[in-house]
Amino acid sequence: MLLKDKNVIITGCAQGIGKAMLETFAANGANVWACARVKTDEFEDTAKALSEKYHVEIWPVYFDLTDHEQLKIGVKSITSTKRTVDVLVNNAGITYNALFLMSTMNKLREVFEVNFFSQFLLSQYIAKTMMRQKKGSIINISSSAGIEGNAGRSVYGASKAAVICATKAMAAELGESGVRVNSIAPGITRTTMLTSMTDKVIQETILQSDMKRLGNPDEIAKAAIFLASDMSSYVTGQVLRVDGGL
Amino acid sequence: MLLKGKNVVITGCLKGIGRSTLELFAQNGANIWACCQYESPDFTHDIKELAAVNNVWITPLYFDLLDPEQIKKAAHSIRETKQPVDVLVNIAGMTHDALFHMITMDQMKKVFEVNVFSQMLLTQYITKNMLRHKSGSVIFISSISAIDGNPGQLSYTASKAAIIGATKTLSSELAGYGIRVNAVAPGVIKTDMTANLPAEVMERLMAKSDLKHMGLPNEVAEVILFLASDMASYITGQIIRIDGGIG
Repeated sequence: MLLKDKNVIITGCAQGIGKAMLETFAANGANVWACARVKTDEFEDTAKALSEKYHVEIWPVYFDLTDHEQLKIGVKSITSTKRTVDVLVNNAGITYNALFLMSTMNKLREVFEVNFFSQFLLSQYIAKTMMRQKKGSIINISSSAGIEGNAGRSVYGASKAAVICATKAMAAELGESGVRVNSIAPGITRTTMLTSMTDKVIQETILQSDMKRLGNPDEIAKAAIFLASDMSSYVTGQVLRVDGGL
Repeated sequence: MLLKGKNVVITGCLKGIGRSTLELFAQNGANIWACCQYESPDFTHDIKELAAVNNVWITPLYFDLLDPEQIKKAAHSIRETKQPVDVLVNIAGMTHDALFHMITMDQMKKVFEVNVFSQMLLTQYITKNMLRHKSGSVIFISSISAIDGNPGQLSYTASKAAIIGATKTLSSELAGYGIRVNAVAPGVIKTDMTANLPAEVMERLMAKSDLKHMGLPNEVAEVILFLASDMASYITGQIIRIDGGIG
């Protein structure tokens, strides 16, 4: 129970790593604003079931990250509750695989819109709340691709590298106000994002890793718990690679 | 209770980061071989109490890292218990301040003996145990000065940089056997090691850090606990900076 009674915002909760985070954070006693793009019965049911199972509050919030007006309304619905916001996990993102020469400007803009600009904007809104509280932890999900620069990942990797740099600058600016900002760089993790990669690339990457296996979404979630909790009270501006040793 | 029922070897338990780690691990349910350089009545008394309060066992082991024979004996006494070792935390180390041209080879070799060679030897012994049960977590203590450099500390920083190389290579050698190997790189932590830093150096470092304050030994211990536990099950070969955001 590392996050008992903490209030947490997690984006991209409908699937993959975000879904695992939602459950892991709830299991650690956190109340969660579970953000997803669209309202579905399945998502509402999941939120309800987790809330009952772990005796925490889960408030679904729906907005499309590419629509800044929607995002603003989503934020309002959170801040108007006047609850403290202890943790923000910027998890939602999209993947894109294409060779550099084949990558279109439209795609480049779309990927940056979701993976970078919208995260940036959401962090601006929420950091204001955290600075007033003089406490908070922001976790941005980047990627090993944002560090390594892999073939076919010029667009996605660049968007995640931008996240890493913003993480460090945010840490420098917000540290004095008691807000820590860190990033998690997952390696290849068992999510639907994998379907965008060829089997050959997946196998090659697994072989490159020390552990010789894929990561599981809950393993990324556990690292996020660490960065969200007081266990990491003197850790800020860091990029934590959770990649089985790539 | 992140380490309930786990068996752990920690070196440098007498004070500072080692002492905090010893206490935090015991509170988290770990049984501990608590290694120190020498025996002291206070320490013997404290660990007895710590073990009783937390319902774990704590066995003290005394050896000098400058003496490979003593290390061997300590490792042997662990092996004789036939207990699996789940975690090894190599904390004991020494600092050394001297400008490059003033460092004697004897000093340089001593620093490497304590901060690198002895740790490799102990890790060889202990990971043999981990290899048998195909799981384990090894944690080394490096330093941000090994990554950033620090004038007047060449021998110390070079020895701590060696730990980083060892961590990454060991990780790739042992991961196939279920053993994770990571290091932490503390920044300015309130211990005896930083007590003598000149005020102007301290001021400069604090101005550079995002959080604008020193870290506490317990804050390093918490990260070590994370790496030791199953929370870090997909993390290996990493160097985690615990520095409040310096550089």
